[in-house]
Amino acid sequence: MKFFVCIKQVPDVYAPLQIRDGEIHQDSDRQVLNAYDASAVEEALVLTEKHGGRVDVILAGPEKAHETIRKALAMGAEEGIHLQTESTSGQDSASYAHLLATFVKEKEFDVLSFGKQAQDTDSGLTGAMVAQLLDLPYTTNAVGLAIEGDHLIVTRQGDIGQEIIALPTPCVVTCSNDMNDPRIPTLKGIMGSKRKPVEVVQASSLHGTSLASGFTGEALTHTTSFESMPARKAGEKLQGEADEIARQVAKILSEKTGVFS
Amino acid sequence: MDDRFDCIIVGGGIAGLSAALTLAKADKSFLLIERGEFAGAKNVSGGVLWGQDLAKLVPNYWEEDQAGWERFITHRRLSFMDDQSSLSIDFKSVHLANPPYTGVSVLRSKFDNWLAGKVEEAIAAGTKSMESFIATNILVEEILMEGDTAVGIRAGEEEFHANSIILAEGVNNLLTRQVGLQDKYVPADHMLTGVKEILRFDQKILEDRFQLQGMSGMSNEFVGFATHGVEGGGFLYTNRDTISIGLVLGLKDLREKKKKPYDILEHFKAHPVIADMIRGGESVEYSAHVVSSGDARVIPAKLYKDGVLVCGEAANLLLNAGKAIQGMDYAMRSGILAAETVIIASEKNDFSEQVLCGYQKALDDSYIMKDIRNFQDAVHLLHDPVMYSKVPNLLCDFGRKFFTISNEPSKKASQLMKESIREHSSLWEMAVLGFKGSRAL
Amino acid sequence: MNPFLTVIPVQNQSLKRASLEVLSRTVELANEKGTTADVLLLGAQPETFSQLVASHGADRVFLVGNSLLNQHLNTPLLKAILMAIDSIHPSLVSFASNESTKDILGALSAALGSPALPDVASFWIEGDKVCVKRPVMAAKILANVKALFPNSGQKKPVLVSVRSGSYEVVERAGRGEKNVLEFAFDEGTLRQTLREVVKATAGTVDLAEAEVIVAAGRGVKDDEGKRLISELASLFNAGIGASRALTESGAYDPSVQIGQTGKVVSPQLYFAVGISGAIQHVAGMSNSKVIVAINKDPDAPIFEVADYGLVGDLYQILPALIQEIKAIKG
Ligand SMILES: Cc1cc2nc3c(=O)[nH]c(=O)nc-3n(C[C@H](O)[C@H](O)[C@H](O)COP(=O)(O)OP(=O)(O)OC[C@H]3O[C@@H](n4cnc5c(N)ncnc54)[C@H](O)[C@@H]3O)c2cc1C
Ligand SMILES: Cc1cc2nc3c(=O)[nH]c(=O)nc-3n(C[C@H](O)[C@H](O)[C@H](O)COP(=O)(O)OP(=O)(O)OC[C@H]3O[C@@H](n4cnc5c(N)ncnc54)[C@H](O)[C@@H]3O)c2cc1C
Ligand SMILES: Nc1ncnc2c1ncn2[C@@H]1O[C@H](COP(=O)(O)O)[C@@H](O)[C@H]1O
Repeated sequence: MKFFVCIKQVPDVYAPLQIRDGEIHQDSDRQVLNAYDASAVEEALVLTEKHGGRVDVILAGPEKAHETIRKALAMGAEEGIHLQTESTSGQDSASYAHLLATFVKEKEFDVLSFGKQAQDTDSGLTGAMVAQLLDLPYTTNAVGLAIEGDHLIVTRQGDIGQEIIALPTPCVVTCSNDMNDPRIPTLKGIMGSKRKPVEVVQASSLHGTSLASGFTGEALTHTTSFESMPARKAGEKLQGEADEIARQVAKILSEKTGVFS
Repeated sequence: MDDRFDCIIVGGGIAGLSAALTLAKADKSFLLIERGEFAGAKNVSGGVLWGQDLAKLVPNYWEEDQAGWERFITHRRLSFMDDQSSLSIDFKSVHLANPPYTGVSVLRSKFDNWLAGKVEEAIAAGTKSMESFIATNILVEEILMEGDTAVGIRAGEEEFHANSIILAEGVNNLLTRQVGLQDKYVPADHMLTGVKEILRFDQKILEDRFQLQGMSGMSNEFVGFATHGVEGGGFLYTNRDTISIGLVLGLKDLREKKKKPYDILEHFKAHPVIADMIRGGESVEYSAHVVSSGDARVIPAKLYKDGVLVCGEAANLLLNAGKAIQGMDYAMRSGILAAETVIIASEKNDFSEQVLCGYQKALDDSYIMKDIRNFQDAVHLLHDPVMYSKVPNLLCDFGRKFFTISNEPSKKASQLMKESIREHSSLWEMAVLGFKGSRAL
Repeated sequence: MNPFLTVIPVQNQSLKRASLEVLSRTVELANEKGTTADVLLLGAQPETFSQLVASHGADRVFLVGNSLLNQHLNTPLLKAILMAIDSIHPSLVSFASNESTKDILGALSAALGSPALPDVASFWIEGDKVCVKRPVMAAKILANVKALFPNSGQKKPVLVSVRSGSYEVVERAGRGEKNVLEFAFDEGTLRQTLREVVKATAGTVDLAEAEVIVAAGRGVKDDEGKRLISELASLFNAGIGASRALTESGAYDPSVQIGQTGKVVSPQLYFAVGISGAIQHVAGMSNSKVIVAINKDPDAPIFEVADYGLVGDLYQILPALIQEIKAIKG
């Protein structure tokens, strides 16, 4: 099967960060492959290693995002497609979805996979948007994938349990990181990644093309500022003998919460 | 793909990256391998990179927007502390404020990552862009030997070969030992442990508090109370909107005195003089790492053999003679020198000892080995218990008397100094120390 | 201003508290703006709940009944909602954020050309804009995001989904005017097939509804640990959750994972037992009213969000705690 995996470059969420004048400042401008997308790449590689086929990755982002494409190529993807944007600012899931959909519309593939969400925006919209724009069957939050003939069998983590859903190809799926542990590229993989092709497409060339719905490539939402989370009040730390602290906390909880009745 | 590189560099710290940048500019093919998830991920350092080598490696680095460094040092202070006071030698000068600066504070995870970016740029600009790599998240487990010649590396199942190998693996130099270059047994007693905390401030508050202009910064070293009676010293450096504060402590002394580095750091931070400087800072990171002692006795006698060179702290190149810790600048210069030797070797197509010995010669002729030799007495003096107990105590005692104006007849400074010395030590002890000190520095 | 609509899918004949939270907030805003607060109930027999939503302020209750909607499947749900939006012309559509909503929100946005604001912690209206605060960067910080209201008449409502625990449930009488919407769905057009739903949580307490949750982390090492967790949970009829460390190892079912990848919960009382408090875990439980953490590492980050941090070995503390609670409960 032919997989296209959409991958996003995101700032490292573990790097210390603070907010000044409503803007995010990170100590380092280190950017990484979105963890959920790494799982999507891994799963596509595992499936094609087993059933044959190939995995290409698509990324929309600025020039610097090239290094993230290389990371996926080092893992084992065959070709990268870089939809090059001026910058990341002013974009949202809708504007990226329009770019991605416009690009893949003309291409042949069996499975178009996504991460379930981007770690920086935590939106979780793009996959289903693209599916809708291309009118493809889809499912989100996959925790397991399998191939049966020309069907993709998705185990989806739903609200009450796991749903087993069969999708005819071509289809769209968004992946949870619960489905696997993405491989760490080997030296050979890292070295090989430099020789693999990366097609660069200027995002501006895809703009304006109107797809079936009202999406035109414009962002529909606008992030105006950032602020700190209202901190939970620093609590009490109880230290000492197990019996003693258990007694203390049981007493407090029975007095302060309504859950003992 | 032919897998034979001109050089394989083990370690993406300052030494390894400096070597890589030098090789990339000379258009040599190399593979740099770092075990951390990215260059800098595993690196702890208090952080002032001294000297001007950075400007040679990355010309005009100060003009960059998103550069990896924090502040250039224009204000230096060496403080002697007792439990209540500190007496400092303080030097501030605008002559330090012109690029190329002579010291910049850095946060390693950011700096190393930035420097790695420079290496990538240099690779891309050369003709070996398809043959040179930085590989992260990979641990080199073994140096492959053919007889007594190093010929490659093994990482997991993978083996790669090169004409030369530069070991830049840092203080925990397992591979240097494996190839037999760390010939001397290094007892843990010869090592120190460095602990560091990063405290974050509002940038404006930080700049006001330390009187910083633009990107200028200050560095402060501490002797005495800082270490709570344990061999070592303290430091405080300003970054953009954080300060790095920490201690370097003797492992043996810590063990014997049954003290924990973290407790001593808390103790240090509670000192009234320090508490004033760090008030309101939010702790964002705490880390600890082993540091070489700077004792010339643990530096391997030979830093090369057929096919391999050792640089940076892997070779125990470090100096801490009281006025600063110099480990990063040594790592940078030795990395450059090692790479330059590899470049010469590849031109001669001879990677044997006969050519690689040029590295050691270059190192011997550089400020690194000259300083290490010249300041050995200072290193030993600094580890003398007198230096972190009696000396700071008597200096602070003197300071207290000298600066206290009590509407009583004042004594002359020389008289006060004598009194302080008598109280905390003896004239003889201090005379000996003074003599040793002036010779050592 | 066109009506505000709250969409409530009713699966397996249950309506979740989180939906009433969103409804309460939407009704409040509709009152503020002087527009109607509508509810769209979708399910096999949605009318069962029309009284309930009316008593939480719904002016009009639209009912779409179809047995296909009894279980979650995106295509019929999406079609039903699009059909309803087409007849109601809302300017704002709100949802409780759960896996069901996450499955369709993007598609709905693309089908309508509407802005979507997923997983918000709060939302309000300023002039011609819908404003929200939503956690981003693994829920380390909040982003202020805005979307423009459509001009009236345009079929492009702003879509908002709200994290559970963000608003209080408020009872207030609404008109509760019932409207049944015809929804015929041709199953033949369904491209995907739902083969089965594996409910590992059958018979246990639903985490989304639980007043009390006992969550286990890697510190819970063995069957004895799991037994202690179950025993503590049984005292409160609590839901049992787990960190990714334990769902990944297979010790607990993936459906009880709490956090960024798993569920967002907001109980009255949350016990984090042997959980370190990684940002991705905290992202899923920081809306809990009271958090009690048990961890032997005094520097564990979980203590930064816990109201009561018990420092010690869970194998010693849990038995003691269970005994104390039993004693209090008599
Ligand atoms: C608390 C503290 C404060 C300090 N303050 C200062 C200061 O202010 N000024 C100063 O000049 N110096 C300071 N130093 C010393 C300085 O940090 C070191 O001397 C310097 O980092 C040495 O650089 P290096 O490149 O040789 O080694 P390192 O920076 O240690 O880099 C070695 C790299 O090799 C990698 N590595 C190791 N083994 C392998 C392997 N087998 N495979 C792959 N990768 C491997 C490591 O992950 C690491 O990234 C301080 C040190 C500490 C601990
Ligand atoms: C993209 C992404 C998404 C993720 N999503 C989620 C998510 O949804 N949910 C989630 O939980 N994680 C998630 N994670 C994983 C998360 O980062 C952590 O790895 C995970 O939460 C760790 O689980 P833990 O706290 O149980 O284990 P650990 O971090 O190993 O902590 C175990 C704790 O138990 C304590 N302990 C050990 N023994 C005892 C004892 N006897 N008594 C008391 N205390 C003891 C230890 O001190 C330690 O603090 C995600 C990660 C990524 C990258
Ligand atoms: N700029 C982008 N380039 C490629 N894929 C993207 C981009 N933005 C989002 N995606 C994909 O869409 C998923 C969900 O993103 P989001 O809707 O922003 O949370 C990600 O995990 C990626 O798979």
